[in-house]
Amino acid sequence: MSRRINLNRVSPEVYEAVVALNTAAAKDLDPDLAELIKIRASQMNHCAFCIDMHTHDARKRGMNEQKLTLLPAWQEAEGLYTEQEQAALALTEEMTDLTRKHVSDEVYDRAAAAFDERELGQVIAMALTINAWNRIGVTTRLRAPKR
Amino acid sequence: MTQTLNNTTTDRLKIYNTSPELYDAMMALSNASAKDIDPELGELIKIRASQINHCAFCLDMHMRDARKHGVSEQKLDVLAAWEEAGSLFSERERAALALTEAITELGNGHVADEVYARAAAVFSERELGQVIAMAVTINAWNRINVTIRLEPRASLK
Repeated sequence: MSRRINLNRVSPEVYEAVVALNTAAAKDLDPDLAELIKIRASQMNHCAFCIDMHTHDARKRGMNEQKLTLLPAWQEAEGLYTEQEQAALALTEEMTDLTRKHVSDEVYDRAAAAFDERELGQVIAMALTINAWNRIGVTTRLRAPKR
Repeated sequence: MTQTLNNTTTDRLKIYNTSPELYDAMMALSNASAKDIDPELGELIKIRASQINHCAFCLDMHMRDARKHGVSEQKLDVLAAWEEAGSLFSERERAALALTEAITELGNGHVADEVYARAAAVFSERELGQVIAMAVTINAWNRINVTIRLEPRASLK
């Protein structure tokens, strides 16, 4: 495996802009919900560094281990996740997977019913921000630290 | 509810009003990504990602921008099948497009060594970083505009 560039070194303005985007997206968003969004998108995008980081962060926040374990199959474990969490996860999945289909009315409306407008905007912002990090992490092949 | 893209059913969030910091942060990211990258190459990256992500607003905007930058009509027509278009696209363009496609389609696999190495062979590290940044940034815009179902500019209808 070849070495890849360090984006923070070659394009520091870009890196800083993504950090600022992350800060903007995190405002007025429940940190536990944010971690679920980040982990689920990172799973779909196969970003090892991001999955490791955010699973670790969620655990540090005291998130229920079963919620982390079942996250890739959250639709089959509905009672474990709140309606807000389910609505946000469904929206995150459709936003992450734009190549196959668009963001359906069904999924959008479920989220719009569960969140106020400000919260919905921040859920969307967090989902696209972790998608940006995933793309950086995968493309530059960031390594998860040994824990 | 039916899935139509006309004005009457598009009533999704005005996210740039409800999350103004998001818009500012995205504009800053766009500006950072556009540095030290050929504008024509930047438009090809933006259009190809927007095609894959089915972002109507983004396609409309960047096709128009590309024409303003003087990108040939034939290149724009054939972009969705650039691999089959031989020398119509330069090696730098092809390397950037292959990388953009891989970055855009993470759900299907990672960014292969072959694709990465092809881009690393034709771009300096700084250029490669900016190509990656451009692909990441248009993917973010695509996700916003598809999710809020932003329509192509009304004045164009």
